[in-house]
Amino acid sequence: MRRTLLFLSLSVSIASQAQELCGTIADRCEQHITKQYIPDGQFYRALLQGDEQAEFNLTLFGGTTYRVAACSGDSDGILVFNVVDKDNNVLFSNKDQGNAPYWDLSVTNTIDVRVEAGLDPTKAGSGCAVMLIGFKK
Amino acid sequence: MRVNTSSQFAFALGLGLLMVSCGGSGTSTTDNAADTLAVDTTPKETELLNVGGKLFSIPSPVQTALAIRKAGLKYQKDLTAPLEKGDATVGKVAQSTALGIYSADLAYVTVHKDGQRAMATMQAIEKLGGKLELTNSFDKALLDRFKTNLGSEDSLLQFSGVAFRAADQYLKDNQRDDVSALVLAGGWVESLYLTVSDPSAAKDQTLVNRIGEQKNSLNALVELLESSDKEKAATSLVAAMKELQSLFSGVSSTYTFQEPVTDAAKKTTFINSTSTVTIPADKLAAIVAKVTAIRNMMLA
Repeated sequence: MRRTLLFLSLSVSIASQAQELCGTIADRCEQHITKQYIPDGQFYRALLQGDEQAEFNLTLFGGTTYRVAACSGDSDGILVFNVVDKDNNVLFSNKDQGNAPYWDLSVTNTIDVRVEAGLDPTKAGSGCAVMLIGFKK
Repeated sequence: MRVNTSSQFAFALGLGLLMVSCGGSGTSTTDNAADTLAVDTTPKETELLNVGGKLFSIPSPVQTALAIRKAGLKYQKDLTAPLEKGDATVGKVAQSTALGIYSADLAYVTVHKDGQRAMATMQAIEKLGGKLELTNSFDKALLDRFKTNLGSEDSLLQFSGVAFRAADQYLKDNQRDDVSALVLAGGWVESLYLTVSDPSAAKDQTLVNRIGEQKNSLNALVELLESSDKEKAATSLVAAMKELQSLFSGVSSTYTFQEPVTDAAKKTTFINSTSTVTIPADKLAAIVAKVTAIRNMMLA
C-alpha cells in the first residue's frame, strides 16, 4: 500500500515535471509559427529516448503553404524530422538543412504524408519532442 | 499488459531521472536511460505521456471554411449549430463534441465576416470551455481580444487557433486525451457538415475532392477516438464514425510522386506530386446522409 502511494505521488510529480518540460519547449516552438500562419489548433508532443521516433499522418491540402516547427531540449536544432509520402519517398528532411527548427511546405496538390520526428543522437539522448503546424490562408 | 509495482517504481524513478536530464548539456545518456526504461510499453500503462509511437493530426476546420468560401458557396448562418445547445449539453462526450462543433462554426462565420455571430460563438465556446475546465484557454481576456479585433479576420483566426492549441495542450498535459479527441471529432464532423449541406457543393469538383481527401483524416480520427476512449463513454459515436469510415472506403485515389524542389533561402520546399480522388455519386450521397446523422447525434 505504501509502495503504491509512493508510486502514485512520484507519478504525479513526474507528470508535472514532464508537463513543465514540454510546456517550456512548446513556448519556444510557438515563436516559429509566426503571425502569418494560422495554428492548426493541435499540440503534438512525445517523450523520446534514444532512436525512438514519433510519427503522425497528415493530409496536406493543395494550394496551401504549411509551416512545420519541431523542437526539443533547450535550443533549436535538436529534433530531426522527415516528411515522407505514401510510397516512402522523403519529400523533406530538416537534416539536409542543418536541423532547421521550422520549414515551409508549399503544396500544389493534396497529398497524404507521414511526419517522423526523432532526436539528433549527437545532441540529445532523450527529451520531449514538440511539433506545431500552422498554415497560410 | 500489467506491470508489477517494482517495475513501475523503477520506471517512475527512471523517468524522473530522464526528466531531470532532458534540459541538460545535450550529451547522450542512452546507455543509462536504456537500463531504466527498457519496458517501452509501461508509459502507456501509467498514461504519464505517450512515449514515442503514433500521434494524430486532424485538419483544421479553418482550412475547410476557407475552401467553402473559395468555392463561392453562399454563406448560410442557419447551418451553424444553435448556440443555446451548448448551455443544454450534459456530460463529457456531448460537451466536448459541441465545443468542436462550435470551433468549426467559428471558423465558418469568421471567414464569412459575420463578426456578430463570431463573437456570439466565441461566447458559447467560453461557456463550454468553463464546463470542461478549459478556462485557461478560453477566458475573458480572449473574448476581449476577440471583441476588439472583430474587423480583422486574420487576427480572429489566429486567436482561435492559438486558443484551441492551448486547450489541446492542456488536455493532453492532464491526461484528458479523450476530451481532446472528441473536440477534434466535433470540429471535423461539423466542417464536413458545413461543406456537404449546400447542394451546390456536389457540383463543385474542388469541394467534392476535398470531401474525398478526408479519408485518411477520418481513419486517424477513428483510431484516435477508439484509443482514447478508455471509459467507453463514446462507443455509439465511434460506431457511427466507423460506419462513415466504411462509406469512405468507396473513395479511390491515385498518387504520382514528383521530385520536390527546395528553396533553402526561403526555407521552403515545394511539393509538386500529383493526386486525384474519385467518389462515386451514390457514395457521396451516402456520406452526406451519414455526416448529417452523426452531427445530429452529437447535438441531440
